[in-house]
Amino acid sequence: MMLKEKVFKIVSQVMNVPFKEVNERSSSDNLGRWDSLQHINLILALEEEFKIKFTAEEIAQMGNVSIILDILQNKVTS
Amino acid sequence: MFNITYAEVQDILNKAKIDHLPKLNISILRNVIVESIVPYLKFLAYKMDFSAEIRMGDYDNIVQESLGMKEGIFKKETDCVLIFMKLENLSWNLARNFPALSAEEVKNEVMRIQEAIANIHTGIRKQTDAMLLWHGFELPLYPGLGIWDSQIPMGQAGVILELNNFLRTALRSISNAYYVDLNLCLTRVGGRTFYDDRYWHIGRAPYSREALCEIASEDFKFIRSLKGKGKKCLVLDCDNVLWGGIIGEDGMSGIKLSKTYPGSSYYEFQQEVMSLYNRGILIALCSKNNAEDVREVFRNHSDMVLKEKHIAAAEINWEDKATSLKKVAANLNIGLESLVFVDDSEFEVNLVRTAIPEVTVIHLPKDKSVEYRNILASCGLFDTLIVSAEDRKRGTMYKAEAQRKQLQSQAPDLEAYLKSLEMVIEVKFADNFTLPRITQLTQKTNQFNLTTRRYSEADIKKYMEAMDVDVFSLRLMDKFGDSGFVGVCILKYTKQKAVIDTLLLSCRILGRGVENVFVIQALKLAKQRECEAVIGEFYPTAKNAQVKDFFLKQGFELLSDKAEGHYRFLMNQPIREEPSYFKKVSSHIYE
Repeated sequence: MMLKEKVFKIVSQVMNVPFKEVNERSSSDNLGRWDSLQHINLILALEEEFKIKFTAEEIAQMGNVSIILDILQNKVTS
Repeated sequence: MFNITYAEVQDILNKAKIDHLPKLNISILRNVIVESIVPYLKFLAYKMDFSAEIRMGDYDNIVQESLGMKEGIFKKETDCVLIFMKLENLSWNLARNFPALSAEEVKNEVMRIQEAIANIHTGIRKQTDAMLLWHGFELPLYPGLGIWDSQIPMGQAGVILELNNFLRTALRSISNAYYVDLNLCLTRVGGRTFYDDRYWHIGRAPYSREALCEIASEDFKFIRSLKGKGKKCLVLDCDNVLWGGIIGEDGMSGIKLSKTYPGSSYYEFQQEVMSLYNRGILIALCSKNNAEDVREVFRNHSDMVLKEKHIAAAEINWEDKATSLKKVAANLNIGLESLVFVDDSEFEVNLVRTAIPEVTVIHLPKDKSVEYRNILASCGLFDTLIVSAEDRKRGTMYKAEAQRKQLQSQAPDLEAYLKSLEMVIEVKFADNFTLPRITQLTQKTNQFNLTTRRYSEADIKKYMEAMDVDVFSLRLMDKFGDSGFVGVCILKYTKQKAVIDTLLLSCRILGRGVENVFVIQALKLAKQRECEAVIGEFYPTAKNAQVKDFFLKQGFELLSDKAEGHYRFLMNQPIREEPSYFKKVSSHIYE
């Protein structure tokens, strides 16, 4: 599975929304269950899946899927 | 602990069908953010066939909530209250500023915390009798005074240990309240992995995912026991489990079992099994072998920790293990769901998991024998809230049972056999001494249980003190040994009727007519209390089908025609005498 699809799948599992409703524009503003607590759960799940750790600053920025994808691309390729 | 990811846990919970499962109501009081523990709690509840409903208290509102200022945090159905009180938010000085404090200031802080703890206990107990699980204070990874801290009794670590001792003692004095050793969880996971500093700073959430996973597992050891889901019997394969190699092929001198490598893995595993034996867990064998070969090892191998006398049941033959496990359960008179089966063979493990999924199976990979001891010790399936004197004697009691069975095969008929046992029964009202055992019986007894009502110590104590309820126990002894307290009866009185709220007998002593005596005792007591009728209730469960017609057989009449029956015995009927084959029935509940 491509990186993008993996991220969408995890967002869909953690936020309990159907996979097809998740896209680059999904964020804490438009996905109802994405509050600060679910944000922590999302980060935990992403770290586990990609076997990386985000910094505190990155965590604060990762409020929408397109930024998550950007940060992940950089970390995974570097 | 579990080897599935956080996302997979969420996924399983999203897809789980839980509407029909009984609810497990958990309230969480906390002074830090621990929300990420919720999916783990729900997952563990689901594995236990419950649906967890979690009520989270407000952040750092433990005192307020214990004083009743949050409506709805405790409900009548609340089963369990988890308390997370991190020292940083209770006393920043003790947690992070210790070297700056004078002895006087430390003393005052300690007293303030002790008083807060006592008040929180009292406050919570006024609102609910639910099981309390209070997580202890963590010892500092880097004590304030450095290496000097470890040399003196009352350094930072010393003070926190004292606080934990105070907490532990205070919890012992309330019923149904337990100390959860958070430092054990911390030690298991390791200080470097237990905390997540990012979340501590961003959101006051101190614990890492691994920490929350371990804490949830530890909490569920208590919850499993509360709900009567603890396992009763460990069933062991022999080859490559109790010793390295195959006895039928390698012979006594070829198998690996000794205090040095490589036999030490198996020696230490056996020692771990002995710990379970001494805690009251039944040990059984299920092995594909010639019985003589296995017996030889038990009798003659000088490094065997387990001996024949520790084994309550053994199926050593060439039949399939699902059949053998069913025989073990039947032999010991316990349900399949009370068994934990341990084997090194993936084939056997998968066969049992497929054929009898009620049995919990632990796979011990042959090439990881050095981990065997740890795998068994960490499984957390055998924990009980109480380890009583009864539990410790259980192994010897099962040996006595084997002797009775031998006698039975020699006696000409059932009554003659029962008479030859010289059984003595003692019936008395519940007291503080029998309270833990009575509570345990209501939590664990499944088969001979007319109503399967589960009670905590607090519940039974309330009944003991109530004017309109009688709780009494039955103790059985015979010429082979003392079976201890094996029966509980709870009578509730309303308007000249006595209702049998609970009538149960331990599965260990079925088939001896003890239940006849128990009912007669209840009837005689009700007569003394001037009741006009005694009502018996039967609530069917998956496990108590054997008592479906119990009250009819005792001379009660059926009142209602539904699956759950209500039966009545009118007191103007004569009460029959106890069966004559009992040597003595000593009753202290009526004149």
